Amino acid sequence: MRGKLFRNNELYLFIIIVLFSIVITIINPSFLTIENMFDLIKSSSGMAILAMGMFIVLLSGGIDVSFTAVAIAGQYIAVNTLIATGVDNLLLAFAISCAVGVFLGAINAVFISLFNLPTLITTLGTLSLFHGALTEFVGTKSINTGQLPDCFKSFGHMNILTLTRADGTTYGLSVFALILLGVIVLSWLILRYTVLGRGIYAIGGNYTAARRGGLNIRFIQFFIYMYVGFLAGIMGVMHLSLIRYSNPNYIVGTELSVIAAVVIGGSRITGGSGSILGTMLGVIMIVILEKNLVLIGLSSYWHQFFIGLIIIVGVSATYIQNRMRRGRSVLAGGMG
Amino acid sequence: MMKRGSHNLTLFIILVAVTILISISLPNKFLTLINFQSMTGQFPEFGLLALAMMLAMLTGGIDLSVVSVANLSGVVAALILSKVTGLPIGLVILLAILAAVGTSAACGLFNGVLISFVGVPPILATLGTQGLFIGIAIVVTEGYSILGFPEEFLFIGTGELFLLPMPLVLFIIVALIVAFILRKTRQGFYMRMLGSNPTVSRFSGVSNRMVLLKTYLLAGILAGVAAVVMISRVNSMRPGYGYAYLLQAVLVVILGGTDPKGGFGTVLGVVMAILMLQVIQSGSNILAFTPFFKKFIWGLMLLLVMVINFFMNRIREARSKGLGDVREKDAA
Repeated sequence: MRGKLFRNNELYLFIIIVLFSIVITIINPSFLTIENMFDLIKSSSGMAILAMGMFIVLLSGGIDVSFTAVAIAGQYIAVNTLIATGVDNLLLAFAISCAVGVFLGAINAVFISLFNLPTLITTLGTLSLFHGALTEFVGTKSINTGQLPDCFKSFGHMNILTLTRADGTTYGLSVFALILLGVIVLSWLILRYTVLGRGIYAIGGNYTAARRGGLNIRFIQFFIYMYVGFLAGIMGVMHLSLIRYSNPNYIVGTELSVIAAVVIGGSRITGGSGSILGTMLGVIMIVILEKNLVLIGLSSYWHQFFIGLIIIVGVSATYIQNRMRRGRSVLAGGMG
Repeated sequence: MMKRGSHNLTLFIILVAVTILISISLPNKFLTLINFQSMTGQFPEFGLLALAMMLAMLTGGIDLSVVSVANLSGVVAALILSKVTGLPIGLVILLAILAAVGTSAACGLFNGVLISFVGVPPILATLGTQGLFIGIAIVVTEGYSILGFPEEFLFIGTGELFLLPMPLVLFIIVALIVAFILRKTRQGFYMRMLGSNPTVSRFSGVSNRMVLLKTYLLAGILAGVAAVVMISRVNSMRPGYGYAYLLQAVLVVILGGTDPKGGFGTVLGVVMAILMLQVIQSGSNILAFTPFFKKFIWGLMLLLVMVINFFMNRIREARSKGLGDVREKDAA
């Protein structure tokens, strides 16, 4: 943020997004309208929030694949509680969903921090554990629009900015954008101005050095995984309000798209690198691609293929760049 | 190292105990021939995937793409089996098997190049190829199943050889080959050395890159063999089949005593862990557990096993401290 606005990686990504948008606009002129942009922001802000969490985990040198199970658990428990108690309050829904998220995040942190277990395998286990527990003990029934408490519906329709079309009907920018902005600013403040945030960079950059330097690694790791859970909780409620339908099998299985977004944003799993700007550009790239596959003449069957391809191209670019930057150092470049 | 070998003995005792426990709690149901035959019919395909996973973990990596590789190879073989006509049936089957193994070798090689030459960490590389390979399988089949293979081909998945199910025979052969590679060849030794300390391995004149490349190539080929067994047993192929195997493969590899940080792992340990999982699986089938509850249990087991290993290591380290066996283990 200081000095250069765009670092190399982000600049390339930005150029690709612009070129891609031009191509799509040529095929479909309605792409580059304010209305469509508002729509894209609304439907992708949930994913962007998950990506923020993922970015912070990768920054610390870990990975979390359980966040989708956390998001759906938060959502499903929140909506069921609201229906069961008859309370129609959005804040309560957020509170429940986020509390579930923070709690499940803390479980991840217990394994990762106290028992020093590998983050990928731990979260692979908790993904199965959380989702299995949700579907076995909470339920598997979907909640359709009719049963849904009104607060979610009105939240889904809430706009912070309303514009009028030529024919007099209106459209607007969803309040989701404001929430996303809040999450971005909060994460940025934490990473930039708190000891905790600097600690996240430090343990990602060099774990041993961070430990010897006297950082409270246990506390930092607990914070990271609980914060991811918190963000997943927010996303859970937003997702429900967007599609007005809750199924305990939704969201789970979309991990790869979120990871792809963060990874092409320049984050390395070896920690300590990447930026919020890069992450958001990564999300934009993935969202534009996902929404326009059909438009450029490819059926939805290509979705998985492209997500995989993007991850591979993204990480390869990041690691090749990194290798060239480090030059021919003897100790570097070995295992990556 | 001597003490680590005792892990297999512990595992064996637990295996026997679990088997006895389930047999007693489910009399007349568990200890039947049919149950055993159905058990041994299921586990080879997933055991092969677990062996592939184990090879990657031995070098300190992981291969998240094994199920996807098996899917893509399975689709390729299934297409040949169902579409190629006019050739003698034996030739078509041979062609299909070669194509499956060839595809999987290509996938493995791709993983290997990404990891060793491009320098992408195994987690991200195989996470990407996981999507890519299954993506290709989905694009090729457009999500549909490919059904109906020649009768002769089904022998691989459903036939018997000297009363033993064919998949089991295949699994035993492959497991022995993998064990041989790990114990008796240079590659096996290098893999363990690389897994326990890449820097040492590098400065001992070992080409880490080539060792990793071969490791992921081998893992790919194992997934290809799994694919052949898989499509032959089910007599169809649908992209996405066997997705639950990924977690289970990780589970048995770790249960089998493989160190996810690299350097240690045995085929025998993995095989016993597979048997144990299969016994539990079979027991839970008889008890009619829901798939959701099984998912919960597998996740819980994986975490518990790792926590138990954590404490075992701690005890071991405390004991060996006096002997001067100091191992810096804090680099995560």
